[in-house]
Amino acid sequence: MLALLFIIFAGLAVGCAVAVVAQRNPLYSAVSLIGVFVALACLYVMLAAPFIAAVQVIVYAGAIMVLVVFVIMLLNVEEEERRRPRLRFLVPTAVVMAAILVAETSFIMYSVRFSPFTPTDNISNTGITSQIGTGLFTRYLLPFEITSILLLMAIVGAMTLARRSLRLSPTARILPGAQVLARDVLTRGSPEDLTAIEADSSVEAARVLGVEPPIKREDLE
Amino acid sequence: MNLTINIVLYFVAITIAFLGIMLLVAFTVLAERRVLAFLQGRVGPNRVGYGGVLQPFADFIKTMMKEDLNPAQTTKFIFFLAPMIAVITAIMSILIYPFGPPITIPFFGTVPLVIARFDVALLYVLGITSVGVYGIALAGWSSNNKYSLMGGLRSSAQMISYELSLGLSLVGVILMAGTLDIYSIVEQQSGWFGFHWNIFYQPLGFIIYLISAIAETNRVPFDLPEAETELVAGFHTEYSSIKFLLFFNAEYINMITVSMLATTLFLGGWQGPLVNQFPLLGVFYFFIKVLFFLFLYIWLRGTLPRFRFDQLMSFGWKFLMPVAILNIVLTATIVAYWPVLLAKLGLR
Amino acid sequence: MNLAPQLWWYLALSAVLFTIGVVGVIIKRNVIAMFMCIELMLNAVNLTFVAFSSFFQDVSGQLFVFIVMTVAAAEAAVGLGIIIMIFRNRESLDVDDASILKL
Repeated sequence: MLALLFIIFAGLAVGCAVAVVAQRNPLYSAVSLIGVFVALACLYVMLAAPFIAAVQVIVYAGAIMVLVVFVIMLLNVEEEERRRPRLRFLVPTAVVMAAILVAETSFIMYSVRFSPFTPTDNISNTGITSQIGTGLFTRYLLPFEITSILLLMAIVGAMTLARRSLRLSPTARILPGAQVLARDVLTRGSPEDLTAIEADSSVEAARVLGVEPPIKREDLE
Repeated sequence: MNLTINIVLYFVAITIAFLGIMLLVAFTVLAERRVLAFLQGRVGPNRVGYGGVLQPFADFIKTMMKEDLNPAQTTKFIFFLAPMIAVITAIMSILIYPFGPPITIPFFGTVPLVIARFDVALLYVLGITSVGVYGIALAGWSSNNKYSLMGGLRSSAQMISYELSLGLSLVGVILMAGTLDIYSIVEQQSGWFGFHWNIFYQPLGFIIYLISAIAETNRVPFDLPEAETELVAGFHTEYSSIKFLLFFNAEYINMITVSMLATTLFLGGWQGPLVNQFPLLGVFYFFIKVLFFLFLYIWLRGTLPRFRFDQLMSFGWKFLMPVAILNIVLTATIVAYWPVLLAKLGLR
Repeated sequence: MNLAPQLWWYLALSAVLFTIGVVGVIIKRNVIAMFMCIELMLNAVNLTFVAFSSFFQDVSGQLFVFIVMTVAAAEAAVGLGIIIMIFRNRESLDVDDASILKL
């Protein structure tokens, strides 16, 4: 019975994972990835880890993938076109290297094929919420606190990236130490535009450092 | 053999609960139209059946007969999938609610009136609510229509914003109960002639939960994304016939589900007078409380104007979430220091 | 059949998912699709952790999964922000267009 459930959920996970890679429309990839996450949550329930299964659905399928789907809709991403001719052997190479990777991991798995416990006969109490709470706040308190600081860094980073830029004029001088983001300074050019971009703070920097100011190219002519 | 019997019993329980919820949805559709009509000084549908009781079934037959339009777009599979996600995630929540105290059937034994009882039931409900956002976002996108896209994105942004305060408002109840299991939370609210219900211990949490639940289900006053004067019909503009019926059903089942969560967590579930002697009274009390919340939803619809979208979002993020966190801090402080306080007062 | 899933079944599934993720990162040209394949790899590792935690009755595996999920969420937020910034500057989400270190 459990083996049948495992085969169903594992088949669903592998099928959706192949769909993530094979689909050309990124929205279909995102929906398939949600299928992978839900299948993995069901597998976690089978492994007697209900809290992690619920957190997987809430965090991965309910928050991260919502963010990805919103970004896909915001950027209006189209399907991928045909691959360029000079990368023609990319897919066969990737498949061959994947086969080598599976062979290597099978060797490792063959070494650990005996385990001391099978979680079907007994009721496993490892994954219930009180155990996880106890572990998280006693033995693993430091990783927990560091993770909360990491989340704070992510919030600050996301807010910085989403901030509206200052709309500097092209001749604005930028002093060293000014609160300016790099993207406000660099002008937005097409990828083929290879003209040099200057940040125009070299004179101030020279004055601060106490060296001779650099000679501008216009002064030479 | 034992396994087969268990599976058959689960199927029977799920079928009974599903049919009960569908009947309740039909009743809610009718009640909304009648009660809204009375609030607005008119009568509402009363021709079909006695007092209009068969009106929802007539609506169902009429909608089924309509043509199933599919707009020309490139994501046909997602257009087909979105209403299914909405309805499946709406109805998956009824698994965990206890409808009554354990009743004793002769020749069978004691049956707890809940489909599945497991350790992380509240997290399960929050997870299902999180996945329900996809039904709306994908419906708005795949309709190939800018009003649908705007409505879908606004509606899903609103839902994910108020999901936070919904979850945070429930943390106070979890702290007091010490478990995530809804069955245990209902059992812990017994005694004291009803004054042990969580609404008396967590009034702020209850109000935050109620506001967040109304915003989650896209009802007035938070229904800008599907208001007719604003965005045609929001994310379900391009849907017709059965798919529209699925969205319609999903909205009402969501209403019923959040009402059930409110009654089990705050109003004591099936608790009430004389429940220990007559266990079936528990089911009756449960449905009375759920109907009270549904009446509250309809009453608010007939009374309040709707929020503008930026007012809605700033209310959710700048007011409701900090108040929910304040509620958690207060509850945690009191729960942690209650024995110390009692000892200082000399009562323990 | 009364067979229960063995440990190596879960590890095999995790290896297959990880490999599919690696193939996806190599093959895909859309930045968001590559990001999704990275998430797939992280989930394969999560499955290994939970399987070991369950078969060896140790809760540490599940706690580490908790932390991996948090890190993945933080990485998703910042990574997608960077992707949006790149898209605003280049109007294209193709990784081959961003292969020179020039804005």
